[in-house]
Amino acid sequence: MSEPQGSEGTTQRLPVIERAAEPDQRDQAASAAAYGPPPVLEGDAGGERRFWSARRIPAGIVALLLLLVAGVFLYDIAAVRANRPAMHWRRELARQLAERPLDDTWVLVGAGVAAALGLWLILLATTPGLRAVLPMRRTHPDVRAGLHRDAAAMVLRDRAMEVAGVQSVRVRTRRAKAEVRAVSHFRELDDVRADLDATLAEAIRGLGLARPPALSVHVVRTTRKG
Amino acid sequence: MSAVLRTVNRVLIGLVGLVLLAVGGSVLAVGLGLNPPSWWIHDAGDDVLLSDAERTRWQDAGWWWPTVIAALALVVLLTLWWLTAVLRRRRLTEVRVNTGDGEGALLRGRALESVLTSEAAQLDGVQRAHAHLTGRPDAPQTRVHLQLEPHVDPGTTLNYLTTDALAHARDSAGLKSLPAEVRLTGVKHKAERVS
Repeated sequence: MSEPQGSEGTTQRLPVIERAAEPDQRDQAASAAAYGPPPVLEGDAGGERRFWSARRIPAGIVALLLLLVAGVFLYDIAAVRANRPAMHWRRELARQLAERPLDDTWVLVGAGVAAALGLWLILLATTPGLRAVLPMRRTHPDVRAGLHRDAAAMVLRDRAMEVAGVQSVRVRTRRAKAEVRAVSHFRELDDVRADLDATLAEAIRGLGLARPPALSVHVVRTTRKG
Repeated sequence: MSAVLRTVNRVLIGLVGLVLLAVGGSVLAVGLGLNPPSWWIHDAGDDVLLSDAERTRWQDAGWWWPTVIAALALVVLLTLWWLTAVLRRRRLTEVRVNTGDGEGALLRGRALESVLTSEAAQLDGVQRAHAHLTGRPDAPQTRVHLQLEPHVDPGTTLNYLTTDALAHARDSAGLKSLPAEVRLTGVKHKAERVS
């Protein structure tokens, strides 16, 4: 199992049906195990959907707060039903609710905060989130992959540094655009830019993203003598 | 995290948001001088949030307190379920292996996870890997997290993962399919000059 090279022989024998179902998969495994050049991936891409966050943390916080509020009210109401005096905060709350007019500053502030919080929660509920994860092209129907934006930027930066004449590079990847700012210390700027364009276009293909970002390259001459 | 819980999370967060927005927005609007329609709970800017009369309107009715207590208890139970569902990390403990002769075998989920993890970590260009099984025993799914080394093409690494580690795991457990969700991150490193 631990030897990727021996993929034909090491896995245990399988029922015939499953082997027959995926013959091409086995062939691919054999060719990939040779660690050759990246195989050409089939290009049915384009419509890969974004990753949707499970919204665990907001859900946990909302659930916890609701639980606490409902629990405290339940406890106190039940206690009053059992002929015990209401807790101080509930009498105070009822008094404040009955006394403060709507145009009171604190009521307005509270209402504004509640409305903003509500808007934000609605936004959380309706947007996918996970903006930093760029969906990758499917190479297999069962495998969904996402590449982190920073990782993509780092790959592009490493490739750009390999171009002759590039002294330093800064790469910013956004959802649809990769911004490369390079500082060059020798060679003609146009040559460097042309090389960067070619190298980075190749690198972006190598990222295997479903929607390859558009490339924008800026090259400037270094101010100090390198 | 199951698909149901994902939906529940979003629906409930959205509902709470809607309630907050409606209450806060209406109080804000009326408080700032907007004239509400006559049936609205607040009349004008000098009205209070909740007067004593409004609060105790149904207090003498026999159904009021049981209803309030039942509703609160329901909310407490539901949020308790929601919270535990969110906090619990689902892990698949067993995978049902179809041996092909009509009998079945159980494979420990941890075993498959560790095999997947170590195979993925051995792939070219992967520094660290982590695999996690979810789903049901007869239809497991996996989530894989890969940390890539510098100077590898993520697309190539993903292809290796698909054709080696994932294919091995799927075939050796005799599964028809092993849906996988893969996240690739990079190892932070300094830019190097090529000498």
